Amino acid sequence: MPSTELTDAVSAYCAHRIFQAGPEIYLRGNPYQRPVGFGDLDNVDFTVPLTEDQFLDHRQLVAGRMLTNAYESGMVFLPPEGVGPVLPDFELFYDDEVRRQRDVVRPRLERFVFSFLETSTPKPAVRTLDELEAYFLAEVNAVGSPADQTGNNPAVNTTAPVRGTMRAITECRHAEEAAALHLIQLAPDALIEASAMARNLPGSYGVAQSELFKIFLDEFGYGVYEAKHSTIFKKMLASVGMHTDVHAYWHFYLSGSLVGNNYFNYLAEDRRGVFRYMSAVTYLEWLFAQGFADTGTMLRVVFGDRVDTKYCDEHAHIDIHHGRMAYENLLLGLARTHGEVVIPELVRGVEETKVLMRLGDEDFLAQIRWADSLDEHTRLGAVLATSAVDEGTAVSRAPDDPFTTRVYDTDRLIAVADGEVDVYAWATERPHRLGPGDVLLVPRGRLHGLKAASGQVNYTVREVSRNGPAD
Amino acid sequence: MIDLRRHNTVLVGHERYFLFQTETRWRMVHDRCPHRGGPLSLARRTPDGRRLSCPWHGTKIGVAALCRTALPMVRSGDEATVVLPGTSQDAPVSVIRRRILANLPPDADAETDPTDCNSSTGSAQPH
Repeated sequence: MPSTELTDAVSAYCAHRIFQAGPEIYLRGNPYQRPVGFGDLDNVDFTVPLTEDQFLDHRQLVAGRMLTNAYESGMVFLPPEGVGPVLPDFELFYDDEVRRQRDVVRPRLERFVFSFLETSTPKPAVRTLDELEAYFLAEVNAVGSPADQTGNNPAVNTTAPVRGTMRAITECRHAEEAAALHLIQLAPDALIEASAMARNLPGSYGVAQSELFKIFLDEFGYGVYEAKHSTIFKKMLASVGMHTDVHAYWHFYLSGSLVGNNYFNYLAEDRRGVFRYMSAVTYLEWLFAQGFADTGTMLRVVFGDRVDTKYCDEHAHIDIHHGRMAYENLLLGLARTHGEVVIPELVRGVEETKVLMRLGDEDFLAQIRWADSLDEHTRLGAVLATSAVDEGTAVSRAPDDPFTTRVYDTDRLIAVADGEVDVYAWATERPHRLGPGDVLLVPRGRLHGLKAASGQVNYTVREVSRNGPAD
Repeated sequence: MIDLRRHNTVLVGHERYFLFQTETRWRMVHDRCPHRGGPLSLARRTPDGRRLSCPWHGTKIGVAALCRTALPMVRSGDEATVVLPGTSQDAPVSVIRRRILANLPPDADAETDPTDCNSSTGSAQPH
């Protein structure tokens, strides 16, 4: 498809009102409202796949939103308050023509987003079942989740001190906002209850199918609504004052999170990805046990006793079983059943997951470091104010204008001429306010949304070249 | 009265019980793993025969602990009378026909006879 046809198809798909931004910062009571951007996609080229260096580009963010919409239009969403008030959006979200347009853009966007994995992922020389076993155990050992004395159960230390990203959250000045942003990144999967996993249940593929079903059954709380993992995830959000609507924090999903979540739907869309899916799930389920123990610890450090960490505690327990079950019956089980011909795909699933986890983690860490230091970046912006390389774009905003978040592909300066504007670099009730004369440095790839805080605000967005401080 | 040649699992409300054979006697025990509620009637015995391995998460349940969930039962010849919890004498009880996998020896073939696996429900008069 020539470039113009694809951009026209993308523009037509995103032109529907449910994919257009409204004034809301948090999207509540309407699971069909999923803004992609500001309607500025007419000249965006999605034909040439992104490289890893371009992982944080704006095209990645909007493609991630479109793919999430595309995949989830095959799932059932009903607002808990009843569909009546949003029935026209319900009808449009599942409309024949919208789904036809979705089917035109989806495979091309998948190529655009995921092709870089073919060149970014190592291809370890793993050929036999024994080599696969040794490879997997070495991989989980390398990231601090070694097998225990039985050779397969991931050990969990619920008293381990927080480390890595979890520690970085606790060290933020605005630790509660940083912790909330982390929970928001989990929400695209947690609030729709492992639906990508559900897409891999139908069919006929033997013992592995039964094993995946048991894991899925756990996620669904054995059919008991109060035990369903999305239910206890919502309780965790509510305990710290966060919204529980599906995609309430749509504007605050980072590119890395969208790509990682979409990856599992992408593998389910193309059934040839089933072996990659199974090994990716095995790798994650194994790591989740300690990962959620660490997350629970982090949340208790940040929020104290008021946070309900049952969701984390539950996963720290049950994912010990899931890690073992997936390892024995999905990863090794599929290799035993189907032979060495599938082992490269099983390895590929682990390697691709590692890349996506690394990029997602880097994206999140850069975001909380930037969002936590907007004062400093306003000071830096003032220093760099005369270093802009272009005249920039003048923007005028009123409080009820459409709101969405975006990233820039290069460093930018936002300079307020008159009026006031609130900067949302994470989901917060205490946004960073810029007044007349303020200049904010927005590093490349950093998510942010602007909301007029006065009747009218005028500002310019200019590109800046710098060799200064890191993000 | 339950015909042991046809039925071995009883559904009382939302709780399942199944007939479990120990070395000395038959018992009607709770068909629910204390870990997460997995179906112990589909469990296999561990090689030492002293525990059942739950088919959901592999949790090992001691036979002695399982027997402590047994319902009061009196057997006389070919007849056994069980006191079902929370039911009156006339209350309907679903009876499910199923092979007792939990009683298979540890090295037995896990495949079940299709004719034994076809579940059916019906009414039985509890005694």
